[in-house]
Amino acid sequence: MAKGKANGGGARYVYGVVRARRSSRLKQSGIRNAPIKVVAHKGIGALTSDVPDDGLEAGRDELLTHSGVLERALQRGVVLPMRFGIVMPDEGSVRDRLLEPHREELEAQLDEMDGKTEVNVKGIYDEPTILREVVEEDREVGALRESIQGQPEDATYFERIRLGELVSDAMGRKRAEDERWIVDRLLPHAVATEVGEPVHERMAVNASFLVERRRRRAFDRALDELAAELGGRINFKYTGPLPPHSFVELSVEA
Amino acid sequence: MAATQQRGTMQPYRGGSGYVARSSSSGLYDVLELILDKGLVIDVFVRVSLIGIEILTIDARIVIASVDTYLRFAEAVNRLDLMSTETQGLPELMEGITEGGASSKTKGAITGAKEALFGGGDEDDEGDGGGQRTRRSSSSTTRRRRRSSSGGSSGGSSSRSKSSGS
Repeated sequence: MAKGKANGGGARYVYGVVRARRSSRLKQSGIRNAPIKVVAHKGIGALTSDVPDDGLEAGRDELLTHSGVLERALQRGVVLPMRFGIVMPDEGSVRDRLLEPHREELEAQLDEMDGKTEVNVKGIYDEPTILREVVEEDREVGALRESIQGQPEDATYFERIRLGELVSDAMGRKRAEDERWIVDRLLPHAVATEVGEPVHERMAVNASFLVERRRRRAFDRALDELAAELGGRINFKYTGPLPPHSFVELSVEA
Repeated sequence: MAATQQRGTMQPYRGGSGYVARSSSSGLYDVLELILDKGLVIDVFVRVSLIGIEILTIDARIVIASVDTYLRFAEAVNRLDLMSTETQGLPELMEGITEGGASSKTKGAITGAKEALFGGGDEDDEGDGGGQRTRRSSSSTTRRRRRSSSGGSSGGSSSRSKSSGS
């Protein structure tokens, strides 16, 4: 992914799609401090900014800016976030290749996402608690652990790998159970959920929820309640409100 | 380094239960996978090149099933004092993820993003009618989407499955 020709000239970085009557320039800056320009087309608009002529190599700052521009947009109203790193050759192509061909589905999703936000919930096992459960419940783990105890590490290398694998498997089974339980508890307070893979060995659940703004307190309360029931066995990280990253989609063109 | 930054972005929130840490977005770590892996994608266009980003979330899942993880679990289990109810001081939340070189992870993530970009697109074509659903998205990662049965009671029984088969 070298610097491409498309990154220079009139290339536009695209952040997301909003409702817009006419093209405008916002008092807000995007990547590399370039002003945010709304490219409007028949009632919808793309949030864009010029990409520098020397190409764009993106790092932490650009990621944060992408996210920041979308958050500001979310404060103003409904926004459909683009995935990070979408650059289009020029303003015309933003209209001709994005807004016009996808107009109906973009309009439908703007309507659908109006008044809703994404909330991401990650649950992390408390390690001593979950390991203790595994050792106490899984006889094979318990026995293997006993047999290894007090022995030199070198002599038990493969046994230890086996032990760890058994623990990992047992945690996987717990994860499946806990994930379902947690999602079932939260989903009634949301419109939809997108359940992701754990991205961490102690992650019990990694799920995004699409929540109506007016029901967010109820959702938050439900999470607080279930977290309290779990009593620290699983600790939660809650991120939101976010633009609905996980709930927007464009059909793939032929 | 990254771990410190991630923690820095969290605003410790002790809600009703005290077991929920909240951040009002913008914590890079927490939204990274969403920004890189989710959102509208248009097929034919260039994505910018990513440099120097520790794409923790994307590749961390690979770490889960590794010998290193197994050995770490084994050690943790061996250290476990079953009689004690006290929790021992164990590694902080993110340490497991931040291990490993950033450069190789970044490379992998770009590949992942490309795959996601051109991967099978599963159309979200169902109406708003009731019924929960479970589906895989067009993303490179396995995700399942379900729709709430218009709130109220939680019924997990009637979920349907769709797969994009990518």
